[in-house]
Amino acid sequence: MAYVATRGGERAIDQSERLYRAELGRIDAARVAEIRHALPMLIDRVMGEASLYEPDLAALALAQAGGDLYEAVLLLRAWRTTQPRLTIAEPVLQEQLFTLRRISAAFKDIPGGQILGPSLDYAHRLLATGVLQGRPYVPAPVEPAATPAPARQPSLAAWQKAQGLVADPARADVAPDDIPDLTREPLLFPAARAHTLQSLARADTGGMLALGYSAMRGYGNAHPTVNELRLAEADVRVRHPRGTVFSAGRVKVSQAEVTSKGKSGLLELGFCATLGWNEVKVISGATLDLNAPGAAKGSPVEEEFFLYHTEPVEASGFCIHFKLPHYVTFQSSLDALRGAKAAPAPHELEKVPA
Amino acid sequence: MRAKLPRKVPPVFDQADDPAHPFDHARLLDVLARADADRLATLAEEVLTGLGPVEVVQSRTGLVMLPMRDTVQGTDFHLGEVLVAEAHIRAAGTEGYGMVVGRDLNRAMAMAVVDAAASLGQTPEIRAFLLREASIQTATDTDRLREVEATRVDMETF
Repeated sequence: MAYVATRGGERAIDQSERLYRAELGRIDAARVAEIRHALPMLIDRVMGEASLYEPDLAALALAQAGGDLYEAVLLLRAWRTTQPRLTIAEPVLQEQLFTLRRISAAFKDIPGGQILGPSLDYAHRLLATGVLQGRPYVPAPVEPAATPAPARQPSLAAWQKAQGLVADPARADVAPDDIPDLTREPLLFPAARAHTLQSLARADTGGMLALGYSAMRGYGNAHPTVNELRLAEADVRVRHPRGTVFSAGRVKVSQAEVTSKGKSGLLELGFCATLGWNEVKVISGATLDLNAPGAAKGSPVEEEFFLYHTEPVEASGFCIHFKLPHYVTFQSSLDALRGAKAAPAPHELEKVPA
Repeated sequence: MRAKLPRKVPPVFDQADDPAHPFDHARLLDVLARADADRLATLAEEVLTGLGPVEVVQSRTGLVMLPMRDTVQGTDFHLGEVLVAEAHIRAAGTEGYGMVVGRDLNRAMAMAVVDAAASLGQTPEIRAFLLREASIQTATDTDRLREVEATRVDMETF
């Protein structure tokens, strides 16, 4: 494949961008604020894939991209590079999360109980068409319980490890500065687990669903059941110059473990977490993690396959680059095709034996 | 870069603030970082005069990488970066530091000013602010968690 420099089209390019932006019209702070407040799930999805937590910027990116998710993620990933890395926070631990939803589909009586939190899982999917006829939809208020739920919920996986249901591999503490970081080093295979989980946390929701779903339908090695799904807020714990560790605020995180009975006689677990609340993403990601060990080369649940193909900026960028001029490459294909047509191939002259 | 400190769970969600005792530094910073921006700015204006000339060491936005621990193999990995505002000042022979999630530089600076002032002594004014904000923060969490508790499943098996 070859690229050549061409000239021309400057005016067309300029007017084309204007035509696109004219459709979106004026973008002001009020529009950004409305997007932020009206579309929290979309904001979360974009922040997770951009790997940058800042809801106002995510809303601005969506406004500027007119809702094109890949463009929005690209805008945020690009903007992120303008900012210095100040520090690495203390690792978020599951049992310290300020937990708002926590369920298990595999175990009915989990320690801490099943807490649905905010969810449409059991809702009727009815479109509120009355809104379009001037009747605003006003949701019924929650009737709060007399006592608050505990802010923190125990870790189901820790309980399973204590019960001998799940393998409990030894772990070594890693200094925050030594945690492998995909934003500073390339993804190489076989991938470090820290790279795999970071890559899944940044991955494209739709891509993960497609590949995870293929495993769920049977093109994988293990059928997942949700061991634990959690929506929560995590404290961003940083260090004061005098050494005091404190929380600079909370960010929304989601996390899923999926399980299946392994050949070892123990339960096997897959894990995925991301910034923002995005249940489809973490369940799909955990399914891929569960299925990855021993996956055949080129199968959708093989780590290299699913990590490479779910990176949103690379995947969407590669897809849309095919729209850019490829005249020279394509011209050579055309020449070859026309040449082949013009000169009859010798075997066409021979009689095909009956 | 980092000294190993014993991991102490901060009493963020269940605090019993004794008015007789000063806030410890971690608790003070937790409360300031979550405090109402306008009320924090008002307090910072008030305590600023007592600090004399202020040297601004840092006032900027930037990224904090947030790691998480995987529950399956215990691997620490990076969840993603959080945009924060940071302020660092020196004044009156002490220093003050503020960091808040988001990009509000004024909020971070107000936090740094109050941190510096509090390091010279938690005056009744600062203590009253901390107690009030802490109780509002606790009430906010409690209200949310009462709503969450309403979604607890009371399951019957047949």
